[in-house]
Amino acid sequence: MESKSTFSVKELNKSFAGLKAVDNVSLHLETGEVLGLIGPNGSGKTTLINLMTGMLDKDSGHISLDSHNIGEMPAYRVPFYGLVRTYQTIRIFKNLSCLENAMIGALGVGTKHREAARLAVGLLEELGLGDKIDLPAQSLTFRDQRLLEIARALAAQPKFMLLDEPAAGLNEEETDELLSLLKPMPHSKKIGIIIVEHDMRLIMNLCNRLHVLNYGKTIAEGKPEDVRNNPEVVKAYLGSAAS
Amino acid sequence: MNLAKKLSNQQENIKQPAAKDISQYFDFSRKSSTVVILIAILVVIGYFIWWLNIPFIEDIFTAGTITLIMTLGFQLFMGNSGILNWSYVGYVGIGAFASAIFSMTPAVKTMQIPTMYPFLINLHLPFPVALLAGALVAMTVAAIIAWPLMRLSDAVGAITQFALLIVINVMLSQWSQVTNGPRTFTLGGKRLTTLWVALGVAVLVIIAVYYFKESSLGLKLRATRDDRYAARSSGINFVAVRYCAYVASAFIGGLAGGLYSHYILSITAASFYMSELFMILSMVVIGGSMSVSGAFFGTLLVTLLRQFLRQVELFLTRSGFEASGSTEIVVAVLMIIFLIWQADGITGGRELSWRSIKRRLPSGSKKRNKVLKNKKQEEKA
Ligand SMILES: Nc1ncnc2c1ncn2[C@@H]1O[C@H](COP(=O)(O)OP(=O)(O)OP(=O)(O)O)[C@@H](O)[C@H]1O
Ligand SMILES: [Mg+2]
Repeated sequence: MESKSTFSVKELNKSFAGLKAVDNVSLHLETGEVLGLIGPNGSGKTTLINLMTGMLDKDSGHISLDSHNIGEMPAYRVPFYGLVRTYQTIRIFKNLSCLENAMIGALGVGTKHREAARLAVGLLEELGLGDKIDLPAQSLTFRDQRLLEIARALAAQPKFMLLDEPAAGLNEEETDELLSLLKPMPHSKKIGIIIVEHDMRLIMNLCNRLHVLNYGKTIAEGKPEDVRNNPEVVKAYLGSAAS
Repeated sequence: MNLAKKLSNQQENIKQPAAKDISQYFDFSRKSSTVVILIAILVVIGYFIWWLNIPFIEDIFTAGTITLIMTLGFQLFMGNSGILNWSYVGYVGIGAFASAIFSMTPAVKTMQIPTMYPFLINLHLPFPVALLAGALVAMTVAAIIAWPLMRLSDAVGAITQFALLIVINVMLSQWSQVTNGPRTFTLGGKRLTTLWVALGVAVLVIIAVYYFKESSLGLKLRATRDDRYAARSSGINFVAVRYCAYVASAFIGGLAGGLYSHYILSITAASFYMSELFMILSMVVIGGSMSVSGAFFGTLLVTLLRQFLRQVELFLTRSGFEASGSTEIVVAVLMIIFLIWQADGITGGRELSWRSIKRRLPSGSKKRNKVLKNKKQEEKA
């Protein structure tokens, strides 16, 4: 009954002046799933997100959302097909109010003004920013700015959301809070999430599957428990994080 | 099986949040009070000055109102896009010349500008139509050249706009068959831009500029100003939204230019160049470039200041001191001071609204103090 959407990336490549930042990476995701994209610093996670959303031009490969070949579209067309993102280094509209920030997500994909405001208010309240609706975004705390970016992404009513280190800079308590906000979303909003994070607790609690990168290459993918015990992953990533 | 599905569907239906009541975000105070306040201030001052009936003051007000239209058109693009738009005065110039050419009678044109193309000499439109047509010419020029420029941001964007201003200025000052070249272009006839004409257009422009800013398009443009990348990945084509605002801004600039030429009655290309841009820029910066209220109060303040300084300058020159140009210096220094300590201008980039006034009123702050006191007492308890 319920129609699922599929996001898939095939054999994606990107080099920066000889450095292979993303090396033949393929992945796929369905709505309702959470995929954890992990790997050591500089392993190409952010670059992969930039490629998937069209913010960077790929060297080769295919990116599709259902039957749409979004890999060939300019970045500003991508959200129309249901793919949105947040940034590792927070990017909010600092002079706009929270309401306006969140509304942009909806207006960007062609939602009418009133409807955009309605969506934005609902999401801001849901994420606990309800009492800050009128404040300029630059006056928010770090935590709230991260949540605001998520609200803006969700206001586009996407099918897939890519989160680039949403917990970076948050303390343990704030990270737990973020976890409890994100946890029900795949089901309640019928979206698929790809999350990049270094916080393993968040990753292990949230993800159905993991995808591990090292030097731009996929070194493991699969169930979190399996990946955690994969010797190559332990060597490349978990080992270095544990040490 | 089916039953289970039905049940879960029902549960989901229950989970759907009720439609949000958002009317409070679209009430008078938020959406319209700014426009009403600004227009009321302008009309009250205008009416009072008309009633005083002192030609000297009436002239200052009319010229100031024309300047206000210029700064509003300038704010429309620069304030919302964050790009310093040097070429703007060029469009003011185009509107000034074009509307004058449209409104002058063939007889006057033959006498004043004998070099003019015959087909231009024969054109003759009533003043309001000529004013609109002049603005449309400015807008069309902008629409033709702007697209490739809208890609450019920050310093590169400003430099390109600067180069474009020089191109427009050279065209205006050299095209003898249209603008009378570097010689003065005299309109002849009587002053058509009266106090009430300028005031009427200013009211319309305040409404247009404010609702543009608050529209979906204006909001998208402001998003690109704050973060181009985030705007792009939210679905905004920044070239397209900038283009729309740039063309609209050229239209208002052209309109202001037409009003100006029919007020001052003799113009040259040099009337639409650096010193005019500097004047507009200083008003928008001192008022606060990010809001319509900023452009409004910046214009009001700087106009008054300039009039005052001009009198001081005159007085000093008469009493034997060499003081010419000191007005410009004072305004420039003031602008620098603002950029260093209060970059968002006197309005702080916000709009003056009924809410912001209420908050400042003594009764409003009393209420707030009460709330604060209550909170403190609660904390103590
Ligand atoms: N625009 C760029 N130009 C040149 N090199 C780049 C660029 N962006 C990324 N790189 C390089 O590509 C590699 C992958 O970087 P990327 O930012 O994707 O890593 P990451 O996995 O997101 O790391 P982190 O966990 O630190 O965020 C790094 O070696 C980086 O230096
Ligand atoms: Mg990264």
